[in-house]
Amino acid sequence: MESRTIKRAAIGILGAIGVGLVLVALFLLGQTAQNSAEFDRAHIVILLINVAGVVVLFALLVGNLARLLRDYRNNVPGSKLKARMVGMFVGLAVLPLLVVFYFSMQFINRGIDTWFNVEVEAGLDDALELSRAALEMQKRDRLETTVHISDRLQNVSARQLIFELSKLRRESGAGEISVYDRNNRIIAMSSDQSAGSLPRRLTDEVLLQVRQNRPFVSLDPTQRGGYEIRTAVPFGDVNRPDLVGILQAHYPMPERLGSMANNVDSSYSDYKRMVYLREPLKRAFSLTLTVVLMLSLLASIYGAFILSRRLVAPIQDLVAGTRAVAKGDFDTRLPTPSRDEIGFLISSFNDMTQRLSSARREASLSQALVEAERANLEVILARLSTGVVALESDLRIRTANQASGAILNVDLENRIGEFLPDVAKGQPLLEQFVDVAQVHLNANETEWREQIVLRGEVGRRVLTCACTTLPGDEDHAAGFVVVFDDITALLQAQRDAAWGEVARRLAHEIKNPLTPIQLSAERMRRKYLKTLTDEDARVLDRATHTIVQQVEAMKEMVNAFSDYARAPDIDINLFSMDKLVHEVVDLYRAQESGIEIALKTDSDLPKVEADVGRIRQILHNLIRNSIEALDNTTDGCIEVSVSLAEAYEVEVVKIVVADNGPGFHTGSVSQVFDPYVTTKPKGTGLGLAIVKKLVEEHAGTIEAENRKEGGAEIRIELPANEAAREIMITKLPGRAEIRRERA
Amino acid sequence: MASTTHVSRGRPDNDNNMSEQRASALKSLLLTVLSSAVVLTPVRAQIEPPQEGFFDVRSAATAMEAGVHELEARLQLILSAEALDALNSGVPLTIELNLEVIRVRRFLPDDLEAELTVTYELEYRPLSQRYILRNLNSGDQDSFATLYSALNNLGRIQGLPVIDDALLEPGSVYRMRLRALLSTRQYPAPLRILFFWRSQWQLQSDWYQWNLER
Repeated sequence: MESRTIKRAAIGILGAIGVGLVLVALFLLGQTAQNSAEFDRAHIVILLINVAGVVVLFALLVGNLARLLRDYRNNVPGSKLKARMVGMFVGLAVLPLLVVFYFSMQFINRGIDTWFNVEVEAGLDDALELSRAALEMQKRDRLETTVHISDRLQNVSARQLIFELSKLRRESGAGEISVYDRNNRIIAMSSDQSAGSLPRRLTDEVLLQVRQNRPFVSLDPTQRGGYEIRTAVPFGDVNRPDLVGILQAHYPMPERLGSMANNVDSSYSDYKRMVYLREPLKRAFSLTLTVVLMLSLLASIYGAFILSRRLVAPIQDLVAGTRAVAKGDFDTRLPTPSRDEIGFLISSFNDMTQRLSSARREASLSQALVEAERANLEVILARLSTGVVALESDLRIRTANQASGAILNVDLENRIGEFLPDVAKGQPLLEQFVDVAQVHLNANETEWREQIVLRGEVGRRVLTCACTTLPGDEDHAAGFVVVFDDITALLQAQRDAAWGEVARRLAHEIKNPLTPIQLSAERMRRKYLKTLTDEDARVLDRATHTIVQQVEAMKEMVNAFSDYARAPDIDINLFSMDKLVHEVVDLYRAQESGIEIALKTDSDLPKVEADVGRIRQILHNLIRNSIEALDNTTDGCIEVSVSLAEAYEVEVVKIVVADNGPGFHTGSVSQVFDPYVTTKPKGTGLGLAIVKKLVEEHAGTIEAENRKEGGAEIRIELPANEAAREIMITKLPGRAEIRRERA
Repeated sequence: MASTTHVSRGRPDNDNNMSEQRASALKSLLLTVLSSAVVLTPVRAQIEPPQEGFFDVRSAATAMEAGVHELEARLQLILSAEALDALNSGVPLTIELNLEVIRVRRFLPDDLEAELTVTYELEYRPLSQRYILRNLNSGDQDSFATLYSALNNLGRIQGLPVIDDALLEPGSVYRMRLRALLSTRQYPAPLRILFFWRSQWQLQSDWYQWNLER
């Protein structure tokens, strides 16, 4: 950006220098072309400035043209408009210049030509010839005069020579007469000038001609502007050349004649000079005009470039800004070049981008808010024990929380986007759930509420289910949201509470009359047995025995009820599970009931934190339950295994008690933990219910199923320590209520 | 007459040599650039006359007469065809003799002590058909029947007083140099632009230099 500014500034300065040079050069050229004494020294500089101006402008133009061509080929925004404008400006500037140039050239050529005229030239030639003829006569007369003077001085003695010479000079009208000896030394001289003036020297031309014995005559311009006739003839005895001297005489022309001759001479010379200078003048003016034209032409073309660039620059900015906005950069602000229409356009563009920018900021703010709300919702959904599944209208899973997966025993969270019936395949709980849901959807019921009972391998689950329509948005069409809760544990708890209440009432209402009944029966027996006949006594004995026995049985039953209803507070201790299991199993092995009890425990079983009494009771109940189930079975076998495992991401102790008895009834597997559900003739139906209650008090899980090879299997998972129990309470639905109850 | 010593011939001073070279280079550059401009003009190109004139200083020396150094020189002055044509067409030619007295300094650049320019004007008078040679410094003039005799006369310089020896520093060494050139200074400005480019008008002898004997 900085280098671009520097470059632009440099080009601007260069352009300014170029234009400045051109102006200076044009001014100087104009000044000096007219007249200037300093031109000789200055004209090189002026031409240099001109040429420098031309070179600078030419270089700038070439650079500009190259850039314009490159931009045009690369389809740079604004380049076509710029090219068009440059073309237009150049056309506007160049055509008038060329027209002016053409007419100026014509004017110069014709103007100079009009100075000359054939008739004038002929007249001047004639005048010159005439003047020459006239002067020739004068020259001839003067020469004759000089010869005559020379003749008269032939016999004059050297002493008389000066006087005679002066006399002859005056007679002849000569300005100066001088006599030289054969060595060119002056012998005598007479002049009309004041005394002391030097005689004119003999020129080589005079010497050469006279020495050849030829008289010399010439017409010489004088320094004063007139003419004089100079003559020279041999002087002395012509028969003795070695003694011959020279007589030279100067005759001034009459002033009027000299003036006329001078006029003719100078007019002719001037005219000839003008004729000679005609072509060079034309050429010189043409050259000046051409330089001026070139400078003006280049300057105007460069000006066209600058002007078009300045006009196009805001448009290019606008295009670049529009592209930036199209790419999403709303922070683009363009410099406002002027207050004209383009300035207004750019100002509007800036307003637009500013508004877009603030709108986007607001949009992203609200989007962030929505995202935050969604995140909150997801957290809430994740933490909910209620299952929530949102479906598209075509039953694709839009979203599902963790609880929904836990309740339906399918990892729905990782199946988002899939078709729900497809996901349900092979998943019994979800299949039943989908079947119920589809019944409503097929009936076009979008708002419904129902309690669903799902039957699985490990028991049944009761769900309360509610469905409602989900409004669509730009990303999703309208769909449904199904909210369901696993109320199995709740129902179980309600049932357990009801049974507890029943048990308490039974204990209270039934147990109380049992003792008087028993006592009455025993008293009746004791009092009347001896008094009755044997037959009657036998009947009484059997009847009272039956009463007492049944009352005992009833008491036992009521006590069991009482135990079920009134569990003491849980007492958590650290103890060895391994040791406890061995104790309980050994107790049953000692009874020699003919049933083999196999025990398998992990060697590295750690100590666990639990209520030892309750665990002992669980083991007793399970083993006794199995022994009772194997009553009519030969080769009965019970397998007890205790191991350390991991479930719900915590350490659990897994207790499995299995037998090879008849197993549970297929239809009642899910209800084996309900009170009074038994398949045994002698059972109270409370054993497994109590076991389940004790397990749940430890926040553990219990499952019952029939083994494939025959027999029943009950699996218990108990948290190994208090920390694991806390975690399992949070993860298992329904356990929180137990915890609250415990608290 | 004092004896003279010929020092060098055709080896002008460095500064002047440089400036002349620059002027020459400049001229060729300007010629090249403006040639296209000249082509644009509707004037027909003239065929260059074959005769190239030249000015040359054949010999030059100074001799001291009554404490004044006087110049004796022989010049060969041959006019180019264009200059001759101009002269015969009534254009007076100006011929300059540039004379410089330079003090030679050992460590510092040489110092121009005095310079003398003698300007002659050569003119053809059609009426008398004679060439007039006028010394513009003194105003003396002579007329000649032929150009040859006029130029011959001009090229024979005798006893031209240059500088009084009293004006020169005693003990210093002085160098003199002489050149002759055809000046176009007196012509109309447009012609000077044109003559500047024409070699036939660039008549100038090399500097002829010698030591001043004292």
